Amino acid sequence: MERTAFTLNALKMLIIVGIIILVGNQVGYGVNILAALPGMAIILAIGLVSLILAQEIPLKLPAFAYAIFIATLLALPFSPTQDIFLQFTDRINFLATATPILAYAGLSISLQMDRLKQVGWKLVLVAVFVFFGTFFGSAIVAHIVLSLQGII
Amino acid sequence: MPENSSIDDSSEETGENGRWDPLRTAGRWSFHLKAHLLVLVIVVIAEAIGTLEYSVGPGAVVIIPMLYAVVFGMLLSYRALGAYITQLQQVAPKEVSVISSPMIIVCLMPLGVKYGTLVAPSFWEIVGAGPAFLLQELGNLGTIFIALPIALLLGLKREAIGAAVSIAREPTLGIITDLYGPDSPEGIGVLGTYLTGTLLGTLFFGLLGGLAPLTGIHPLALSMACGIGSASMMTACSASLAQVVTAVPEEQVLSFAATSNLLTGLTGVYVVLFVAVPLINKLYAIMSPIIGGEQ
Repeated sequence: MERTAFTLNALKMLIIVGIIILVGNQVGYGVNILAALPGMAIILAIGLVSLILAQEIPLKLPAFAYAIFIATLLALPFSPTQDIFLQFTDRINFLATATPILAYAGLSISLQMDRLKQVGWKLVLVAVFVFFGTFFGSAIVAHIVLSLQGII
Repeated sequence: MPENSSIDDSSEETGENGRWDPLRTAGRWSFHLKAHLLVLVIVVIAEAIGTLEYSVGPGAVVIIPMLYAVVFGMLLSYRALGAYITQLQQVAPKEVSVISSPMIIVCLMPLGVKYGTLVAPSFWEIVGAGPAFLLQELGNLGTIFIALPIALLLGLKREAIGAAVSIAREPTLGIITDLYGPDSPEGIGVLGTYLTGTLLGTLFFGLLGGLAPLTGIHPLALSMACGIGSASMMTACSASLAQVVTAVPEEQVLSFAATSNLLTGLTGVYVVLFVAVPLINKLYAIMSPIIGGEQ
């Protein structure tokens, strides 16, 4: 997809996502759609820039990382933008931004079901232990190091 | 080989253009309308139900709206209920699933921005906990020590290497597929963990996040552990954890998880390539004659 077409499509899709989040934010967290609109406009602008950066910069970083990075820069304690940026984005609940992702993810999973059936139940069982191992491996190391540092 | 083309679809380097193609709206607006309206309905229902919490001792099973959303989405898509109810196939045809796949990435942008707003105010705490952040990345290798013996006990051979080497998000899938080939036993193994994560990972970590405090591990350490290299799993894990713990403020749980997730994204490839793959091959050589009964 060439550059202009990509930008245009990304913008359209971001606006759709923005509307879905604003509705979810009203239903689930009682935040008025109009009150949350300016914050959403800022978020969508950062999102568009992030998607474009991920396409253009040959670092193979996911667009998600650019979005976090830009928002972090704007919200750092020593950034002059912190107050105004947080004031607007705070009206969009964190969980409200996560729900649509999982709705799309759920809908897309059917595409991979055949391949999952192919790999068999033993690999699924092993994967569950992989999940446990990753989580508790990290948690135990972090707990020990944080204790040694005297943070916890 | 059908597997080949589908692995390529999900890997990072190929189809940079092809990956976005389903987002074209020209001549396909009816499919787009169906996909996005369906998501809107799912989101409204999930948010209307809200967060449910069932206490289990000091921990809790926390069900946040995003977990309903993934289940509703899975049920509605064409291979689940749609396979039995033909009317549903009209509402959610295969095209809806195809469009939904790249939409996940678009949807991640607002979440990323929200994470930035959570990470930044905790900037100094994160710098202070720097050593813990870096070292807990090595804790991800815990999967090798737990999952490899179990895989061997189940009778898996070289598949065990791909399956147990890491939690197998896209970078690992790419590395193992590159090293051994997509049709190798290792390639099948890594695909198994990758797909299981895609299908069940969010639900699994969403539930684990609420229950993990029962172990007595400090909530800050658990927050870091939630950053396993997948945005949706990390979000489910840390959001559930934040609901349950009171010793650490919600913002700090979320920001530590997000920071750890970013670090996993940055260091994960190198840890898998230079530490995990050599380590699991070494352990396989030692363990498989004992447990796997291989001569």
